[in-house]
Amino acid sequence: MKFVATKEGALALEEIPPVLFGLLQAIPLRAASEDPRVESRFYPAPALDALLVEDWKSFVRPELQETFLSAREVVLADLCGTLETEGGFSMKIPPNHMDPWLSTLNQARLAIAEENHFGEKDLSEEIVPDSSDPRPLALFQISFYGFLQECLVKMQD
Amino acid sequence: MPAIDIPEAETREKTGLAAPWNVIVHNDPVNLMSYVALAFRKVLGFSKDKAQKHMLEVHHKGRSIVWTGGREKAEFYVQQLHSHLLLATLEPAPEG
Repeated sequence: MKFVATKEGALALEEIPPVLFGLLQAIPLRAASEDPRVESRFYPAPALDALLVEDWKSFVRPELQETFLSAREVVLADLCGTLETEGGFSMKIPPNHMDPWLSTLNQARLAIAEENHFGEKDLSEEIVPDSSDPRPLALFQISFYGFLQECLVKMQD
Repeated sequence: MPAIDIPEAETREKTGLAAPWNVIVHNDPVNLMSYVALAFRKVLGFSKDKAQKHMLEVHHKGRSIVWTGGREKAEFYVQQLHSHLLLATLEPAPEG
């Protein structure tokens, strides 16, 4: 798989093998988790003040939900534009889509970590593939999405 | 026309600044350090060095006060930081 910064400032992903393309396709779905643990992580309390927390739920949370959803929709649309070539799949993330991608990748990473109860120690452990255990795949997913995030952050620097 | 007694009104003007609030960002093991620093630059307008300094403080000390000022703006910054999925809270700044 190749990561190429284009002249137009886009990030081109080329020669994506089918397994990694499957993981890319899973990003919006993983990000849209409805697990209550994920919900609490996405919408944390802003303060100890109970009145502010209630106001936040009523006014800020719907705005945040809208922001996260629209970011996921941008990513989904980009993924739908993927081309299949001889060397694998290829797609581009244009400069004005980088923020939605960063957000959706972050949503997906946080959701997977919450669903699997991953802490700092789990995230730094070596990933040992095991087809009978979904845990290494979840850790690999977080790591792969993190690498993609790093590429996007570097391009915005 | 009868004269009306108009009571003398006593007015007092209260001046002074509202108590300041701190915006605090808390550590999160999942968010990438580079992403946190980028969010600081975008939301709070920090320079690269300042963003890096606060990101490292969050990482090593578990939290960093990234802004202090009026409550309304503090709420705005917390909302913006939440939109980047950072764990941010606001609390009254200690007096003195």
